[in-house]
Amino acid sequence: MRLTCRQENLAKGLGIVGRAVATRSTLPITNNVLLATDGGRLKLSATNLEIALSYWVGGNIEEDGAITVPARLLTDFVNTLPADNVLMALNGKSLKLQCLRFEAKMSGVDAEDFPPIPKIADGLDARIASEALHQAISQVAFAAAAEDTRPVLTGVHAEFEGSNLTLAAADGFRLAVYKAQLLSPVEGKTGVIIPAKALSELSRLLPEQEESVEITVSPSKSQVLFRLKDAELVSQLIQGTFPNYSQLIPQSSTCRAVVNTSEFLKATRTASIFARDASGIVRLVLTSGSEATPGKLTISARAEEVGENMGEIDAMVKGEASKIAFNAKYLTDVLSVIKEGQVALEITTPSSPGLLRPVGSEGYVHVVMPMFVQW
Amino acid sequence: MGKFYHEAHHVAKLATLHPSHRHLDIDSGVGYNKNNSSMSDGVHMHRRILHVDLDAFFASVEQALDPSLEGKPVVVGGKPGGRGVVSSASYEARVFGIRSAMPLSRAYRLCPQAVFVDGHFSYYRIASQRFMSILDDYSPHVEPGGIDEAYVDLTGSEALFGPAHGVAQRIRERVWDELRITASVGLSTSKVVSKVASDLDKPDGLVEVMPGEEAAFLAPLPVRRLPGVGPKTEQVLKGVGVAAIGDLAALSPSYLCCLFGKTGALLGSWARGEDGSPVEERGEARSISRCATLSRDTLDRPFLLGMLRYLSEKVGAELRRMEKRARVVALKVRYADFETLTRQCRLRGPTDIDQLIFGAVAELLQRQLAGAAKLVRLVGVEVSGLQAEAQLRLLPSVEDRLERLDRALDGLRLRYGYDAVQTGRTLAVQRRAGVFS
Repeated sequence: MRLTCRQENLAKGLGIVGRAVATRSTLPITNNVLLATDGGRLKLSATNLEIALSYWVGGNIEEDGAITVPARLLTDFVNTLPADNVLMALNGKSLKLQCLRFEAKMSGVDAEDFPPIPKIADGLDARIASEALHQAISQVAFAAAAEDTRPVLTGVHAEFEGSNLTLAAADGFRLAVYKAQLLSPVEGKTGVIIPAKALSELSRLLPEQEESVEITVSPSKSQVLFRLKDAELVSQLIQGTFPNYSQLIPQSSTCRAVVNTSEFLKATRTASIFARDASGIVRLVLTSGSEATPGKLTISARAEEVGENMGEIDAMVKGEASKIAFNAKYLTDVLSVIKEGQVALEITTPSSPGLLRPVGSEGYVHVVMPMFVQW
Repeated sequence: MGKFYHEAHHVAKLATLHPSHRHLDIDSGVGYNKNNSSMSDGVHMHRRILHVDLDAFFASVEQALDPSLEGKPVVVGGKPGGRGVVSSASYEARVFGIRSAMPLSRAYRLCPQAVFVDGHFSYYRIASQRFMSILDDYSPHVEPGGIDEAYVDLTGSEALFGPAHGVAQRIRERVWDELRITASVGLSTSKVVSKVASDLDKPDGLVEVMPGEEAAFLAPLPVRRLPGVGPKTEQVLKGVGVAAIGDLAALSPSYLCCLFGKTGALLGSWARGEDGSPVEERGEARSISRCATLSRDTLDRPFLLGMLRYLSEKVGAELRRMEKRARVVALKVRYADFETLTRQCRLRGPTDIDQLIFGAVAELLQRQLAGAAKLVRLVGVEVSGLQAEAQLRLLPSVEDRLERLDRALDGLRLRYGYDAVQTGRTLAVQRRAGVFS
């Protein structure tokens, strides 16, 4: 193997695939990055056996070949090199790098020993605009469970049906459901559970992606491939049954308040400062207005022996005056991702789920369970 | 086979004797109790505060429940073969020199003919509730100082109930009529002085200290009588030639601060009979703990884990009774050489589930005993960071099932006793070592 590429491109590629390098693995080679010439470009790959990331770097390939080298060593070294051409030459198992007056040699491990990255050719194939996918992931993935007491909840349920891709995530206390449009309809209905971590990694790659993303689900529904312009992400799918979430979305409410999203977010953040010492509890009170005055939403928090605060924002309140308490984090999480200017909060009792949805957009619903408090 | 452990019950309360902020109840308008301002606003009005203390409480309940024990020396704590200590001794037993916290074996040597009984804590709790509800009839300001004692603020109630002395007498009569337990009462202008007074003529006594005579009343008594003076403080005071409360009262606050830090000044004012702390309603429990002295020092993991399981269930049951959840779980270990340590961990979320409390404490034990060579004498489980608030769940989870299980067990045990249903772990401990109360 012998090739030349730009330091900037190599550093960028290593930065991207580096996210998939295993950190605590029993398989030492997964700490390495795979370098291989591929169709006139240099392909960088890394895997932690759950996800695999590949990135193609343009360059001048003089001789084909492949090797794996410690990812951290290579990345750290390349990052410090000047922005110029980098020559890479393989001699046996030793990789030589040269950039202007800097030079390094590092011992590699055979590319043959690198875990094979699954090739997913057939199966369900769907295309989606990069921006739409980015939006869908950002509205849903944060609601997935961080701990794996129930593995399916660490994933995002993705359902492909007709022209729709519906993403849903729940962690036992909240549920986020977002409906995105595919570029072309798919046949039948396919549901899979994608690790939320894999989607978060994917969404880091999406903003600079101008084109569409191709999604392929393996026929056995064990892996999914996201193909971007210069990058590919393959993820294992989570096996199991995702909760039937549609029945968790309240169909009616006794009180509905429409408020300014950023005001609501700000007031919640203010209350969350006091809520820090009170299990994160913020209390919401909805009061309807009269003919002359608008209704209001008050958001307060109190921590024993610390203090309390209260904030108030205008709200268009329909229905009975109500109160409900939430974990501040759950509110700020969802309010931070809603881009629409107004959001509707729909509640029924202090102990039944609250529903948030952006006003003027049908695609998103977010359900949050309240906290039981003594008022 | 005897009872194999001594179970220490401890519900930590907000400090009862320390002056603390009084939360004004704005809704009810002017507070009933105006005593705090009586000094400053110039109104001449002395507080009338009772300290009511039930005599030999556990033993008295046992005697009330079983008339055949009446007049006999009764020792609550377990059978004399065990390693536990005396929880409570009737006055008939005290004649022989038996005292609380004395090892049972020693109590037996002092009085072999005494009746040794296991504790029936559920009965004590019921008796305590009935005791407190009697006090509630005479004042809205009742502050329990433990399961068997309370402060009652009678200030300003003369018009309604007559002089405080008479009320104290009536309370003692009612406690006897309704519970068959004698109560000793101290009556004065402050909590500290009343507490000392109630202890002075036990059992079945009533000691009143007139306004203005507090310091003179306390002065001749040994310092140990004063709340807050334990063996260590007593030792230090002895070292500086202070034996009587009056000597302590004469020391300057700055000197006392040197000796005891912040609490020094407080001790000094108490010694002078000055204590403005209000009688506050029941303090919120801040932690719950249960511990057990083992029948013999051991490093037997299954046995220790079984014991912790038992204690976790007791702590969990108490949490559920109080309708609280805990965020922090702590393990207490005392080794055979009496080295004692506490290790705590924060739970993922507040819980009242036995299994989660036990899981946390078991992990702490495993970590603590990794490579340990010293035998363990006592283990304890404590939960703190208590709260009533809870995050409700959207999806059914394992926790829901465990919560339902615990509540079902609570119901069964309330009717049929603890050992009506047990886990394998506690059953193994029980088989090996004796019975749980």
